Amino acid sequence: MTKLLEAFADGLGRGSVYALIALGFVIIYKSSRVISFAQPGFMIAGVVLVTYLVQVSWLGFFGAMLLGAVLIGLLALGIERAVIRPMIGRPIFAIAIITIGLDIVLRTVAHAYIGPLVRHVGDPWGTSQLHLGSVRMDQRHLAAVVTATVLVLLLFGFFRYTRMGLAMRAVAEDQEAALAQGVSVGAVFALSWALAGGLAAVAGSFAAAGVSVDNTFWPVALYALPVIILGGLDSLPGAVLAGLVIGVLRSLADAYVDDLSWLGENPSLIVPWLVMMLVLVVRPYGLFGTREVERV
Amino acid sequence: MRRLATLGAAALLVLVTSACRDDGGGGNGDGGDGDVATDFGVSAEPCPAVVNEANGCIYLGTLTDLTGPFAGFGTPLTTAQGAFWQRVNEAGGITADGVEQAYDVDVTSYQEDTGYDPTSHAQLYEEMKPNILALAQTLGTPQTQAILPDMQASDVIAAPAGYSSLFNVEDVILESSASYCVETMNSVDYAVEEYEIGSVLAVHFDGDYGLDAAAGGQIAAESHGLDFDHVITPAGADQQEEAIGRILADQPDLVIITTGPTEAAAIVGGAASQGFTGRFIGTNPTWNPALLESPAGEALQALYQAGGTFPTFGSDTPAHQALAEAVGTPDDLNDGYTAGWMWQYPIKAVLEQALANSDLTRAGVRAVATGLTTVDYEGMLPAGAGNYAGGAAAQIRETMISDPDPEAPTGLTTVQDFFVGPTAEAWEPEVCFELLG
Repeated sequence: MTKLLEAFADGLGRGSVYALIALGFVIIYKSSRVISFAQPGFMIAGVVLVTYLVQVSWLGFFGAMLLGAVLIGLLALGIERAVIRPMIGRPIFAIAIITIGLDIVLRTVAHAYIGPLVRHVGDPWGTSQLHLGSVRMDQRHLAAVVTATVLVLLLFGFFRYTRMGLAMRAVAEDQEAALAQGVSVGAVFALSWALAGGLAAVAGSFAAAGVSVDNTFWPVALYALPVIILGGLDSLPGAVLAGLVIGVLRSLADAYVDDLSWLGENPSLIVPWLVMMLVLVVRPYGLFGTREVERV
Repeated sequence: MRRLATLGAAALLVLVTSACRDDGGGGNGDGGDGDVATDFGVSAEPCPAVVNEANGCIYLGTLTDLTGPFAGFGTPLTTAQGAFWQRVNEAGGITADGVEQAYDVDVTSYQEDTGYDPTSHAQLYEEMKPNILALAQTLGTPQTQAILPDMQASDVIAAPAGYSSLFNVEDVILESSASYCVETMNSVDYAVEEYEIGSVLAVHFDGDYGLDAAAGGQIAAESHGLDFDHVITPAGADQQEEAIGRILADQPDLVIITTGPTEAAAIVGGAASQGFTGRFIGTNPTWNPALLESPAGEALQALYQAGGTFPTFGSDTPAHQALAEAVGTPDDLNDGYTAGWMWQYPIKAVLEQALANSDLTRAGVRAVATGLTTVDYEGMLPAGAGNYAGGAAAQIRETMISDPDPEAPTGLTTVQDFFVGPTAEAWEPEVCFELLG
């Protein structure tokens, strides 16, 4: 039972990171119907930036992370204005391909700043553990859960109670109607990219807590893909819930590896992708996504 | 019309580029003076970066990783390799008694970044092959395997950037120090002696690097009657939960880690934070001095030791002093610099002997390489290193053990100088990574 609970606790920590990255995907998708494959690039750029910012002693981990998130958000906003905005009206497929190119460029530049030595985000938890009775949990995982919870609440509050949040929901519902009502669709696009960039930077900072960063770090962001498929491409609550589910499933696969030996070595690597394939076959719009209705 | 103009300009550009390449690139048969036979990669003209006006130029190719997963390794060793040949050139270049013509060595004109991709590696090799005499560096075992058949057919010798046991049995590859396999045998032997271990778990990457080391661990464990198991772990610091789980479940006395630095830190830090108190020994390239500042730094200092196949940067040998003078104290100091420097000694020895034979053709160079009985490493490796004439059985088997040390230049201090354990001593050489595959 302890083993199960520990796997569950670790999974929530991992899942919180996946959820934050997936929220970025979903926010961009809701506003523009584009799946932005640049999220891993923004994540690693954010992590590398934080490893430099944290060397400014008065910033500390949280200050560096917040500043890093703001700067990566601005970078994402700038990229949206310079690269994505001119593509409005073009096929969605073409824009998605551009985001793949953006991802490669961002990762390559970020990796150049990692250099030959590994880097660290300077988090205060390291590998310290927390004991709840007989159940052990990494402190960094608990911190990720708490931070993700706060950010998700802030995001939902923003969408629910602010004018811009309302504008974003209106654009997500019907771009043309929103435009007719005076909503600045361009501003919504830009803000959605900025939010996605900032969330990726925060997620990356927590993924990098307790470990070292080199140029093999970025694939952690790819787990957001099964998350958004499971949760539904256009569902914010779906991204959060699915992120936690995928995180827990991966940790369970690590904990019960002997029972999954028929999947080969390192089953936790493939479990999220098996889930994704299953969802695409059985319920392609995900657990909470909008079911597409097509006239035939 | 505009399209025609564009096409014309492109064609002109191609012609100009080709012409420039022919002028400035490596020779292919017309490079020596009357006394020295040459075919590829040797020019009677000075090197593009002229050091000695009167010298000809020997072009060596470099296939390295400057942007891929081993960029942290490829970058410093390529820098050190360049510094090595700069020192040789400044000392007069490659010379031989009784041969008037001397040559500088160029390792930058044909330096390419493969990104650790075997396909790119093979493609870039094909592109540079007509212009080079030999390879000063070929990084990665699968990458080198991709070009080995052609190297054999074309008499192209190379210094490998790696320590695979495969390289011991290939005559065109001049491996300098012990393989991952032998290193791990010695590490297990050391732990048997030092910690009286009863069980070994090898945690390693898939592929020749990890499998070579794990096989060495298995061979040593069997020779001592120890329990042995191994687990393959993927790249990525956040992907080590399964490996940590296996360590905690099996509670081995010794864990051999053959991964990248970030994975090693995650494994040691993660296992130690959950109460594991056994010993870890990392295979040579697993270490990175920045790990001492990682969250796992304390655990690494308490439980981890690094295997090694050569003395670390800052050691007291003429070779190390020359290296330090050449590269100074770079911010990214690690033993990639030391390795990059060390691997060039056999190439230098081969070129000097080939010039003494007045035969700088590829076949002449290969004949020298396969007949070499010793290489002067200026103290970097024990006497007897570089006996390529003796085949795989004559390759060096001495390795070292170091402790993490924040005060040392590369974060390591040697605690066990060069030694050969009983397992490696008795071992009949073979390609180890095929044993576990």
